[in-house]
Amino acid sequence: MSSSASLRTTTGILLVAPLVIYMVVLYALPVASMLLRSLNDPTWSIDRYKELMSDTVFFNTLSNTLYTAVIVTLGSLVLGYPVALALVRSKRLAPLILVVVLLPFWTSVLVRSYAWMVLLGRHGLINEALMSSGLIDRPLRILNTPLAVYIGMIHILLPYMILPIANALRQIDPSLARAASGLGSPPWKTFLQVTLPLSVPGVAAGGLLVFVLSLGFYITPAMLGGPRDITLSMLIANQVDQLNWAYAACLSTVLLATALIIIVVCRRLPGIGSAFKMSAR
Amino acid sequence: MRDTVSSTGRGASVSLAGLEKSYERVGAVNGVSLDIRSGEFLTLLGPSGSGKTTTLMMIAGFEQPTKGDIAIDGISVVAMPPHKRNIGMVFQNYALFPHLTVAENIGFPLKQRGVPKAERTKLVGEALELVHLPGYGGRYPRQLSGGQQQRVALARAIVFQPRLLLMDEPLGALDKQLRENLQLEMRRLHADLGITFIYVTHDQEEALTMSDRIAVMNDGLVAQIGSPEDLYDRPCNRFVAGFIGESNFLPATVRGMEGDIVVADCQGAVVRALCPGRPGSGAQVTLTTRPERLRFANGAHDSATVNRMSVTVTEAVFAGERCRYMLQAADGTSMVLKEPSSAAIRRRTVGEQAEIAWSVADTILV
Amino acid sequence: MNRKNITRFGRRSALGLIGTGLSAPFILRDGWGQTMPELTKIPDSLKGEGEVRIATFGGTMQETQQKAYFEPFEKATGIKVKAFAGSDPTKIKAMVETKNIEWDMAQLSRGSIMNLMKTGDYFEKIDYSLVDDGVDKAYRFEYGLEMLVWAQVIGYRSDTTKGVAPNGWADFWDTKKFPGDRALVGTGNGGWPELEFALMAAGVPMDKIYPIDIDKAFASYDKIKKDVIKWWDTGAMPVQLLTDREVTMTSVWNGRMAALQAAGVKAEISWNQGLLKRDAWGIPKGAKNATNAQKFVAYSTMAIPQARISLGIPYGSVNNGSNEFLSEERLKVLPSAPAIKSQLLSYNYDWWIDNRAKVVERFNKWLLG
Repeated sequence: MSSSASLRTTTGILLVAPLVIYMVVLYALPVASMLLRSLNDPTWSIDRYKELMSDTVFFNTLSNTLYTAVIVTLGSLVLGYPVALALVRSKRLAPLILVVVLLPFWTSVLVRSYAWMVLLGRHGLINEALMSSGLIDRPLRILNTPLAVYIGMIHILLPYMILPIANALRQIDPSLARAASGLGSPPWKTFLQVTLPLSVPGVAAGGLLVFVLSLGFYITPAMLGGPRDITLSMLIANQVDQLNWAYAACLSTVLLATALIIIVVCRRLPGIGSAFKMSAR
Repeated sequence: MRDTVSSTGRGASVSLAGLEKSYERVGAVNGVSLDIRSGEFLTLLGPSGSGKTTTLMMIAGFEQPTKGDIAIDGISVVAMPPHKRNIGMVFQNYALFPHLTVAENIGFPLKQRGVPKAERTKLVGEALELVHLPGYGGRYPRQLSGGQQQRVALARAIVFQPRLLLMDEPLGALDKQLRENLQLEMRRLHADLGITFIYVTHDQEEALTMSDRIAVMNDGLVAQIGSPEDLYDRPCNRFVAGFIGESNFLPATVRGMEGDIVVADCQGAVVRALCPGRPGSGAQVTLTTRPERLRFANGAHDSATVNRMSVTVTEAVFAGERCRYMLQAADGTSMVLKEPSSAAIRRRTVGEQAEIAWSVADTILV
Repeated sequence: MNRKNITRFGRRSALGLIGTGLSAPFILRDGWGQTMPELTKIPDSLKGEGEVRIATFGGTMQETQQKAYFEPFEKATGIKVKAFAGSDPTKIKAMVETKNIEWDMAQLSRGSIMNLMKTGDYFEKIDYSLVDDGVDKAYRFEYGLEMLVWAQVIGYRSDTTKGVAPNGWADFWDTKKFPGDRALVGTGNGGWPELEFALMAAGVPMDKIYPIDIDKAFASYDKIKKDVIKWWDTGAMPVQLLTDREVTMTSVWNGRMAALQAAGVKAEISWNQGLLKRDAWGIPKGAKNATNAQKFVAYSTMAIPQARISLGIPYGSVNNGSNEFLSEERLKVLPSAPAIKSQLLSYNYDWWIDNRAKVVERFNKWLLG
């Protein structure tokens, strides 16, 4: 018994070893050494972090990044939840929905952002359509505003919201909804009392995924955003280009720490942590 | 116009008229008509795919019939959504809400009906007492055993005092011991509550033990409906005879009638059987009889109330409380005979020629 | 400002790719109806063997370079050229620091080279004994040799100005006279803000721009801030904004405008008060084929190879001898042509090398703080 257990452990270690080595050598070590730059370039000090505390550019960029991530997460949730529901509920439409949801996955972020430029532009398809239908008489400014950034990012990140929610919804025993209904609960109440609470792990997983991915967005805000839509990633790139690598490393550390803190906090939340345990089953 | 089914009186009567549900998959219902009496314990029994669960789901309102009508206490409920039908329902997999405690689960139907919290707490407590789970209210379903979970499901299904309780193979996932205990409890509950139970199972023993009446279903139709004794002693067709208990089927040729008794040539013997119809002379029929109703004859007592036949023993199995013999009749038809085991009775050996006898009252033409 | 035409690696490369997509259908083919001059004789000192690995800004520019001097150089000297798109000072920094130098030379700007030299020893000295006498003194510096002359100018939609051409940055700043949104260079992607334009808009004469009065420049920026919908950071972006009519006026690289006009977009250059900028060759410190790189630097700045570039793409030559190989017609669109050059302000890389960090920080604070 114990020898077979230890054999299993050994097998497990051997199975993950190549990936672990790959990640440590080619990812963790370079990232660590890069992050160290924020402390030891040119001499050991934490002054850079102290300076961040009074750096308004940093704070405004960080808050813009977080704000954008919140909006994009909420937007994805509002748009994605019904789609996830349809994906699970409608057997006939599910294959079609799945293709539509996954389609963006097969196109590069760049192409999609560019497509949004074509759609949202001052003389883009949306404005032309609104103009010719007489709804507006001068083009709306959508491109190069935060709204365009939200639209573009939500579009790109929607699958990351829809799939975990759909997965959670699929794991809900369909007889629960029947039971609720048989016990006197009308459909909308069944949704609120049964389906919604039971899909919380999926919502949490999707929300976390979208939020954390949003934090690192670069191309979409750069292409679709307005003059002040600078994200932390853009500021990091900016500092790399200015050869201010220690400062860039410092910003990267903050970005990484922000993401990690959010992940750790979410895992600790009751009911949401189970979303992560489920996958290990 | 009432928008929910009344909850006055103790048990609801349910009437199914020409109920049909067409499906591409198995489980279609092809015209079921049944009248279930107030306070009755009726079991829908049948093999999987016979339409019994579909019928139950239509009564509950989870499936819409293609044709036909369902009336509860004389009022058609076909157009009524499930949440307005006021029917208790117990599922095979319990269907307890995993995010709610036991008390919240049981309180769920009360909450939907706007029962105030204090009242709810009291009723939930009573329901827990009723299913022998007092003090379990604060637990979550996953902290309970399968049997406990099903008791909670039961409590939840009756706490709002529905007049009709539907159960879809509620004991299917439990082991034998637990199943037998719960069968008894359900009988007790049925007796205590006096409400109508409609119970779906594929387990004939369970059906025979618990039901007032059983509707045997096959291919989306009711093959026979009757009390357990009716079905066992007087199966009206070969399916029912074969599905409920074990049966011997003997091909025979009709000679004529003696009142309600049909006389037929069977395996070189003249055999008499109870017969619901009046088949003409020379008709090819099948007679059925139960293995435990056969016995080895000692001595020749010809009688108009006892059938006799010569057979050869082809297999002999001792199975503790009884002995089981495979027999071969004159033209090769196999039969089974079960005999209570007793040290006083001589056991037959394979190859032995024997005479068997059984009562005409235990012989049915199907 | 680096003219990173095109492919840079990683996430930012993405942005550059748009440019490729846009300009690909109307790449300017060589010649302009003129036959390419051929360099038939070269000094023996430039001959050699082996290879030289050259990093460029890629795209149309690299295609032009391929014909103008990569291929002829191989034939004339026997040294193989391997070209890489995606030149980037940050990569040179990383390469030299890790002693893993993949490029023997790179297309950069004097600003980028000197900026790096401020923090360490990243470049080889140029061997001027090999360099052609025709290369103007102004283009020579210790750690690099400028090899391409271009201009950062006003690009505008000619269909929005009712026949009146904007003339200088005061007009650019005047959104009453020339209504519509604007775009200018920001600090993203290694951008160098255009303080010169801000000063000229405020009425500072061209010869009084340097040393730049930073406060005055930002005061002038304040006046245009609300009209700038994009602080651009890749060469493709202003072209895109003009094509899609997102802006009516933007600062832009003159070479990009030629491509835009060739595509039939109603857009024009206003040369007046533009900035004359240069690209330079730099040789990373410790490059394996540094000797070959020195030879290539010398070859590519000779009169004929320089003229061949100008015929392929509307950028000017650093060699005074090139003009005799260019038609009058062609000279009219080159920033190095005397009539145009006189309208331009020569970019003061030295001032920027000393002040860039301060300006970028100030700019970020001004925009985001």
